[in-house]
Amino acid sequence: MPLKHPKQVASLLVFLLAMPIAVGLVGTVLPAFQYFPPLGSHQFSLVPWLTLFHSEEFYSSLKLTLISGIGAPLLAVWLALSLLAWGYEKPPFRRIEAMLAPILAIPHAAIAIGLLFLLSPSGWLLRLFSPWLTGFERPPNWITTQDPYALSLIFALVIKEMPYLLFVMLASLQTMQARQSLQVCRTLGYSRLTTWRKILIPQLYPIVRLPIFIVIAFSLTVVDLAMIIGPNTPSTLSVTLLRWFNAPDLSMRYIASAGAVVLMVVIAIVLAGWEFGHRVLQQLTTPERSNGKRQGATDYLVQLGAILGVLSLITAFLALLVLPMWSLTRRWRFPDALPSQWTWDNIHSAIPLLIQLSSNTLLIALAATGIACLMSLLMLESKRASYTKETPPKHHPFDWLIYVPILLPQVGFLFGVSVLMLQTNLNGSFLAIIAMHLLYVLPYVYLTLKGPYLAYQEEYLYQANRLRYQPWRNYLFIKLAMLKPALFTAFAIGFSVSVAQYLPTLIAGEGRHSTLTTEAVARAASGDRKQVGSMALLQAFFPVFVFWLSQQLPRHWTQWRLALKTSFNMRKKSSIDKK
Amino acid sequence: MLSVNAFSLSLDGKRLIDNLSFKIESGQVLSIMGPSGIGKSSLLNFLSGSLTSHLSASGEIYLKDQALHLLPTQERQVGLLQQMPLLFPHMSIIENLLFAIPSRVKKSERQVLAIKALARLDIENKANALPKELSGGQQARVALLRTLLAEPKYLLLDEPFSKLDPALRRDVRAFVLDEIRQANIPALLVTHDPEDAKAMEGECLELKNVTSVSAVES
Repeated sequence: MPLKHPKQVASLLVFLLAMPIAVGLVGTVLPAFQYFPPLGSHQFSLVPWLTLFHSEEFYSSLKLTLISGIGAPLLAVWLALSLLAWGYEKPPFRRIEAMLAPILAIPHAAIAIGLLFLLSPSGWLLRLFSPWLTGFERPPNWITTQDPYALSLIFALVIKEMPYLLFVMLASLQTMQARQSLQVCRTLGYSRLTTWRKILIPQLYPIVRLPIFIVIAFSLTVVDLAMIIGPNTPSTLSVTLLRWFNAPDLSMRYIASAGAVVLMVVIAIVLAGWEFGHRVLQQLTTPERSNGKRQGATDYLVQLGAILGVLSLITAFLALLVLPMWSLTRRWRFPDALPSQWTWDNIHSAIPLLIQLSSNTLLIALAATGIACLMSLLMLESKRASYTKETPPKHHPFDWLIYVPILLPQVGFLFGVSVLMLQTNLNGSFLAIIAMHLLYVLPYVYLTLKGPYLAYQEEYLYQANRLRYQPWRNYLFIKLAMLKPALFTAFAIGFSVSVAQYLPTLIAGEGRHSTLTTEAVARAASGDRKQVGSMALLQAFFPVFVFWLSQQLPRHWTQWRLALKTSFNMRKKSSIDKK
Repeated sequence: MLSVNAFSLSLDGKRLIDNLSFKIESGQVLSIMGPSGIGKSSLLNFLSGSLTSHLSASGEIYLKDQALHLLPTQERQVGLLQQMPLLFPHMSIIENLLFAIPSRVKKSERQVLAIKALARLDIENKANALPKELSGGQQARVALLRTLLAEPKYLLLDEPFSKLDPALRRDVRAFVLDEIRQANIPALLVTHDPEDAKAMEGECLELKNVTSVSAVES
């Protein structure tokens, strides 16, 4: 991009990134001390904290948050590493690899709803085994989903997080020469799993530390998943806080803000504890690496993890399969394995609502992702301009600022940001929703584009400008055109992140604008499986479709463009000939 | 005629090239040889106007009477050919050629010029092919023709033959020399390979290390 003043642009961008973060933090911390001018409170006080620490619900919620927020990432990391160690470069694993990206594109709320339909006492799984195996003629009185120990929430989190970690790890392995290491170790007589445990995983972990941290922060703070499939009364801390923020008694907001500050501290402590745990484990296992044993008992741990990993992938697949089934069901009595009557009526009668929700979803997602792509290009270009071949890339403020929104708890932080929107009268508008989505879409778009954009061989652009000096035109039609695959993938990822957003839409839109996600989450508990099924299905469909397009379009673009041009030229020629 | 007067180059106070002057007649190729790191590429960058700021250079470049060193790259009308052909991979061969033809040329004429260039390589049937469908030698030749279609006033060649396999090199060298003579512009070739220099049938300058580490640039 022929930027005239890259340094000024960079500072402006840093300001734009830092401002909402600062506002969100201040907007969370000040109300926690009962300072909140919009409600006419100008006095600092510790009352919210005292109330919070005397609330029993706080402690029981915090306990559930810690169980699910630590348990889920632990399991997800274990299963992802095990699957990788077991299957890397094996044919069946390649099939799993191909499935990863579409699974990642599916909003987590859709998967959670599918899991609910699958695992609840009246879910598909029990229907499949009843009554011939279980003897149940009606749904048993069990608590399988929304259990008080947050087990189903942990399961849902693992199903969402394991593919993400696997995806990130596979990408990181390409920089590690994993295949060579495996070969060398095999000739030394090491078993495959031991090689992974002793050689590859220790190398891999530092590269994927940040994605793991993102997963931990997500598990500790997730709202929509916890509302669908998590425990209630008490629920996890983030859900409890959301209820307090929305309570009719406005003074609850102070206590909720104090709780949000606690949640931030909890994230920091858990991340620090995780890192400490990693160090200890490293200290303990380092001597074991050089003891010369070619096999080990912990290999079984990897084997078990791989089996559980495959099982959870199958569950995810079944959960997605049950969504369209419910949306096409007229009658599906327990314990029938399949609906006894099918119909298009559910979808047909919901069409006006679905169109409304879909157009809101698409409008927000397309706008937020489009802006995110433009901003990422600006950021990357000013970053690229800040170093040359001789002065190697330094750590740019973008590279850590961009992570802050995804590491902070949405509940609390977003309420803090919304105070700013109230001041500017933006609240409740589409613009406000798009702006809030941008906070979460931008990091993913930026991170996806970063590698390919900075690796681009600038010589092509220089040559173009020597041949024909039109810097902007050449930037668009040479550089960006050559970066099409990365741009399209980044767009698809940003799009799916936007479609999945629940809390940003709710808070910025003040509930005035519903999307497929907000509506599906709101109705998930209603028990109207036919309608919720169609919403979740559409919610999953758009991101997967956009992802598919993003892979197909750049691959064929040039070929199609040239074919179109030739046919156009031929038609022109023949019309001239006729004259 | 391209003339360079008193070109000097320093890196961190260390003199790499000291007081180099030469002239190149139109249609002639001057070859410059020398070990790596001596500043050959920097000389090319100086001539094309894209020298990075951490190198300090002084000297004058004249094209006939025009002082080039005072002009930014885009006003110098310089052609540059590198190791990589740098054909735009998402554009067909003919689009790559059309890209270079100056916009003042009329539309019907542009097409004719591009087809003529393809005809010189006997690959008119590849007009709508993508660069990756051509062999390495063909890509190098298309890259040269593309550079010449932009009607440069002088041409810089930065080891354009080094990536080609030896059997091809002779053909491509002859082709390049032929085209430069037809275009009748001065050309400067930087190379490691004495064969390249010989094939260009012109003068050859060999750069050597400057022994005296004198005159720290201020």
